Amino acid sequence: MAKPAVIVVGADKGGVGKTTVSRTVLDYFSANNVATRAFDTEAPRGTLKRFHPDITEIVDMTTTSDQMKIFDTLNTVAPSVTVIDVRAGLLSPALASLRDIGFLDAAKSGQITFAVFHILGPSIASLDEIAETAGFMDGAKYFLVKNFINNTSFFEWDQATYNSYFHKIKGATEITIPKLNEMAYEQVEVSSVPFLKFVANKGPHDEAANYSFVLRGYVRHWLANVWSEFDRIKLTDIVHDKPSARTPGEQ
Amino acid sequence: MSRTPVYIICSTRPQVGKTLMARLLTEFLKLQRGDVVAFDVSLKEPSLLDFLPRLTETADINDTFGKMALMDRLIVHDETAKVIDLGYHAFDEFFQMTAEIGFAKEAARRGVAPIVLFMGDSDRASLRAYEMLQQQYPQRALYVVDNEQVLRGEVPRALGQGKMLHVAALPPFLKTYIDRLNFSFTGYLRSEHDSSTELHQWIRRNYFAFREIELGLLLM
Repeated sequence: MAKPAVIVVGADKGGVGKTTVSRTVLDYFSANNVATRAFDTEAPRGTLKRFHPDITEIVDMTTTSDQMKIFDTLNTVAPSVTVIDVRAGLLSPALASLRDIGFLDAAKSGQITFAVFHILGPSIASLDEIAETAGFMDGAKYFLVKNFINNTSFFEWDQATYNSYFHKIKGATEITIPKLNEMAYEQVEVSSVPFLKFVANKGPHDEAANYSFVLRGYVRHWLANVWSEFDRIKLTDIVHDKPSARTPGEQ
Repeated sequence: MSRTPVYIICSTRPQVGKTLMARLLTEFLKLQRGDVVAFDVSLKEPSLLDFLPRLTETADINDTFGKMALMDRLIVHDETAKVIDLGYHAFDEFFQMTAEIGFAKEAARRGVAPIVLFMGDSDRASLRAYEMLQQQYPQRALYVVDNEQVLRGEVPRALGQGKMLHVAALPPFLKTYIDRLNFSFTGYLRSEHDSSTELHQWIRRNYFAFREIELGLLLM
């Protein structure tokens, strides 16, 4: 059986696009024929499950039973890739739990591939999370995701501030999620389908839909840009643990 | 089966004959096909809507909603020819959007044939715009309109590489005559029995050129 890979998508700050990024990751794996299961920690409702109901399970990561449901099954279930969409405020506690159960040590020793997509918001509070989270990243592949979907900036205009956050953590790789047209984003929300199905003009059950050609075009263009970022970091190689997959930040 | 043509008449400059070309083409398509829909995206300029109110709808591409309203109709293969009179102020916005949403590729997939009629001019912006259009549309779908009134017989070399559509200049008195809001080119052909008049021949020449483009659709 393939080596299990766990991708955690999270942030301590809310509303920065964690679920959006999780959805693009699931779409990317789907398009690349990588069997994936997902956990949505937004119990009891779950946003990710609304878009990817077939592969997503809602869990409460603060309970031991649900932690077992995720991590005790890594070596036994068929999809070797697990994506966890961690709800706002839970990233640091979740990483602490992973450390406590020995998961981070297993990642460090190479038994498990572990990657963290840390979604950043345009605030000092959000950027302060980097230092806090980086403490858990020994043995993990750490990605700092700058999400421009809300038309934000990340203090690029103030190089001292920018460098103090983005260039301080060794081994961290930046990913840029470009802006998506607001109306296109809202239409996908209303449709409750994965981005891929929206582009293909399909409904939740693969039935033909009637989405706007313009909005589908915007989503297709945006998704291609997001995926080019995933291609750049060789995401499929990372989860397949191919030797060609460089640890992010490696020269 | 023949494709549904979408004619995009455009320029980066005002006063180069876009609306005249759109009027001529719309009237020709109405005569040839029996049905045509024109979209006026040039409300800040002399407007197609003023000349052909029954065949023309207004379109606004300043926001996403307006873009959807226009483009979602253009991409339909319903065998009704469409004509877009694209104002110079909307040129960049329109073609940036069509590039982003992949209009040319999707149109080809759906049996829709976009045909760009670019009103040529010798300024730098026009040459750059033509270069951009060449990257977005295949050569068979991109025409430079050599409006004698504008270029005066001197087509810049960069514009002369692909397909051309020559429109002869009319004497000022005929120009004034056809610029009247109630003037109809097809109406003139029907009512003027003397086919040797300059205007008669001018309209027939242009209609013949449009017919050639329409025939070319069968080969696309």
